[in-house]
Amino acid sequence: MADVALVVDHVTKSFRLHKEKTNSLKQLIAGKARNRYDTFTALSDVTFDVREGEVFGVIGENGSGKSTLLKCMAGILQPNSGSVHVSKRMSALLELGAGFHPELSGRENVYLNAAILGMSRRGIAARFDEIVDFSGLENFIDAPVKTYSTGMYVRLAFAVAINVDPQLLIIDEILAVGDVTFQQKCLEKFVDFRNEGRTIILVTHAMNSVKDMCDRAIWLKHGVVTGEGDPAELVEAYTEMMLGDRARSADGSLRRGSGEIEIDRVEMFAGSSETPVKRFRTGEPVRLRLHYRTTRAVPKPVFGFEIESLGGATVTSPCTRDVGLIPDTVSGEGYVDVSMATVPLLPGTYDLHTSVTDFNRQHEYDIVHVALRFDVMTGKPYESGGLVTMSPQWTVA
Amino acid sequence: MRASPYTVARMSLRSAMAHRNLLYLLSLKELRTRYKKSVLGWAWSLFNPLSQMLIFSVIFLYVFKSPPPVGDPSGARNFPLYFLSGLLPFNFFSIGIGVSIAGVQGGSGLIKKVQFPHEHLVFSVIVAQFVTLMIEMAILTFAMLLIGNNMLPWLVPLAVVLTLLAMMTSGLALFLAGANVFYHDVNYLWSILSQILFYATPVIYDARTLDFAPLRVLANYGPTGSFITAIHNLAYDLRLPSYERLSELVILAFGTFAIGLWSFNRMSPRFAEEM
Repeated sequence: MADVALVVDHVTKSFRLHKEKTNSLKQLIAGKARNRYDTFTALSDVTFDVREGEVFGVIGENGSGKSTLLKCMAGILQPNSGSVHVSKRMSALLELGAGFHPELSGRENVYLNAAILGMSRRGIAARFDEIVDFSGLENFIDAPVKTYSTGMYVRLAFAVAINVDPQLLIIDEILAVGDVTFQQKCLEKFVDFRNEGRTIILVTHAMNSVKDMCDRAIWLKHGVVTGEGDPAELVEAYTEMMLGDRARSADGSLRRGSGEIEIDRVEMFAGSSETPVKRFRTGEPVRLRLHYRTTRAVPKPVFGFEIESLGGATVTSPCTRDVGLIPDTVSGEGYVDVSMATVPLLPGTYDLHTSVTDFNRQHEYDIVHVALRFDVMTGKPYESGGLVTMSPQWTVA
Repeated sequence: MRASPYTVARMSLRSAMAHRNLLYLLSLKELRTRYKKSVLGWAWSLFNPLSQMLIFSVIFLYVFKSPPPVGDPSGARNFPLYFLSGLLPFNFFSIGIGVSIAGVQGGSGLIKKVQFPHEHLVFSVIVAQFVTLMIEMAILTFAMLLIGNNMLPWLVPLAVVLTLLAMMTSGLALFLAGANVFYHDVNYLWSILSQILFYATPVIYDARTLDFAPLRVLANYGPTGSFITAIHNLAYDLRLPSYERLSELVILAFGTFAIGLWSFNRMSPRFAEEM
């Protein structure tokens, strides 16, 4: 068994919720600071361990105790009972740029921030160029950070945090900051970290990153570990719980949304056949027909679908708004056809989810999870791994 | 299993040493950011004691027409410099503690997000204030030379006494800054207490000439009184303080520092949830 990087051993953490805030000596002296508080248990008897070199996910709703657990692991909060053992050099990224001082220059803040994160002066000096390089702020490094834009600020902070060179990295929702390019850069850095065999603990409710990145996960619910193990299964169970109030339809799919318009049937046609199928071959032309039904006229609906591998990877996720196909209103019954000249999916089983939303993609009329499960069989070209084929042309010189 | 105060203090000192780079950078931050955005910058740290010196000199010499304290054995008779040699260390003490209290309170963003030795929020303030004090004392030494009071032979023992003062200041600052996280009254209480202490310390007067006995004892042997008297001995009278006094200062310095560090380390694990 691999060495253990972090052990959380029967950790319980509760907070006092003061009914009146008694931060005053007068009340203390007058004896009025009697303990008028309720106790709120944020974590109760949480036990798990994280092995060296694994990517470990912690999932849970808001208020499930994720942040408290994170702070206990990072040593910021002391548990009421139980203990946390860390055997590696740890860096906890709870907030980027904590301790940045606006009046100081970027250079001075890099040194200060890295020292706060526990680096030695020699260590910082050795990595300084790398940090500046990663941030891309060579020209601004001697300007005070108060003149930086939010993006620049975050980039510099992240560059410092990632270069502290931890063997154990604890990340709190950090991928949610910055623009798309920056997020991509962060993601690449995490993948590098993972490939280098470092231990990462990811605390998030971004389910896709848990499924894609984690080797193992725990599910925290009201401060109690309700599940531990395979991330895909946990995410499935978690998603199901989150969708709990929505009816589970007869064919095993999950449905949510306000229901003014619903997709009640999806048909798939392969080649030129007019008989619906549930399987086709790699490279075949495929047509999808989404049958809808409305309870009232719905203005400007956006239809979409998503194909997901059983491993949880989203292969494609197009919608009608992408191509500017926006009907003014739809009412009654009808269908939406999508045809694809060739489908480059490689053999395997895939799930098709459908969605109908309003124009802004904010309001959900109808989301069907697993509207159709289908198989792709060996066709042309054939490849032994991956999800899709790029139709490669090989030459060996 | 409960660690003894001694072990706690020793472990805390060890972690503080391991993070000395952080201490250095935090102190640098204190020094660099203090007078940002002001035209005169660092000069402000000198104007404040100089203006106080001017005010008290006028009151003392012209309003009350009191004779200036006589240096024994130096024979110096200069109220402004007598005043300044007491005021600068006293200001270090009272401002150092006030800024420490505010520094820990203002460090809440950091305390809630990062794990680091919290005592460095206090130590960095003390270090920065001590650097300021050293510059001010250098200027004082120069002024003393101008009036013919040669302080130079007494600079080494003076540095020792000021270091002891810094230890006592750190100890009290740690305790008060920690307590202030739980009860913000400490902050307000300190601003009143430091004013009372100012008058109970021989800065504007000579403790030996006091008629009121309780105040004379307090001014002579109270914590700040004893330190300021020792500093007057070295900088104004040009002689070593008595051994009794020096022993008192050593006990005050080490005792306050140990108690402050110990109590701070008992309080600091709860900072994150109290803030």
